[in-house]
Amino acid sequence: MSEFSNALSVSSSGLRAQAQRLRHVAENIANADTPGYRRKTIAFEAAGAGTEAGTVMPGPVRLDRGPLSEVYDPAHPLADATGHYEGSNVNLMIEMADAREAQRSYEANLKMFTQAREMSSGLMDLLRR
Amino acid sequence: MLEEIDLFRLSHTMARHAGARQAVVAQNMAHADTPGYAARDIAPFSAHLEAGPGFAPRATRPGHLNGSLAGALPGFEPRIDRAAVRDPNGNSVSLESEMLRGVEVSRQHNRALAIYRSGLNVLRAAIGRN
Repeated sequence: MSEFSNALSVSSSGLRAQAQRLRHVAENIANADTPGYRRKTIAFEAAGAGTEAGTVMPGPVRLDRGPLSEVYDPAHPLADATGHYEGSNVNLMIEMADAREAQRSYEANLKMFTQAREMSSGLMDLLRR
Repeated sequence: MLEEIDLFRLSHTMARHAGARQAVVAQNMAHADTPGYAARDIAPFSAHLEAGPGFAPRATRPGHLNGSLAGALPGFEPRIDRAAVRDPNGNSVSLESEMLRGVEVSRQHNRALAIYRSGLNVLRAAIGRN
């Protein structure tokens, strides 16, 4: 029984981590046109010992250090002497790929969760006549 | 109580093995995107069966002449899967092979429960309740 509850908590931690990753992707896409915005990234980490052993945790949020895009628009209030201002460094293609990967992993975790639940309910069915 | 009957012991171990392996597969799935995580796996049940006493004659009480008394139930230790190919970020989980293992585990669990249930039916018939 403890194996199943362990499997359920590990799967739910995976679901939570992927959901948070998807949230950051959504933030990045929403801010794609915000001047000076740096895209947020998170890396996953394995949790340590104890009851949390084996679960996955989202690590600290980091800002992408890549160069900001230079946008030419002399009419923009933030434009400098040459008519450029700094846009965001969000690449929509990367964000879409990231979102797709997060969705795929989320579904895989959900499937494992359902399967562990079905297995434990199959055990419970043994008690029934 | 019912573990003393060999059929029940076998299906019990089989179901426990499926449960332990399911936990390992779930952990691998959860860590599918964790950098530096190495995929783990538990050897299939047939390997455990061959490593153990198998189907050789066995003593079930001290008075028996041949075979040794069965010890404690075997534990299932997860090992790191070294054959798996690693991604550039050091992660070696492949969602496809984990899916396959997951299906294998769930079928094995169903099989073990079916064996257990039919054993129970035999016992019920023996005590005259159908």
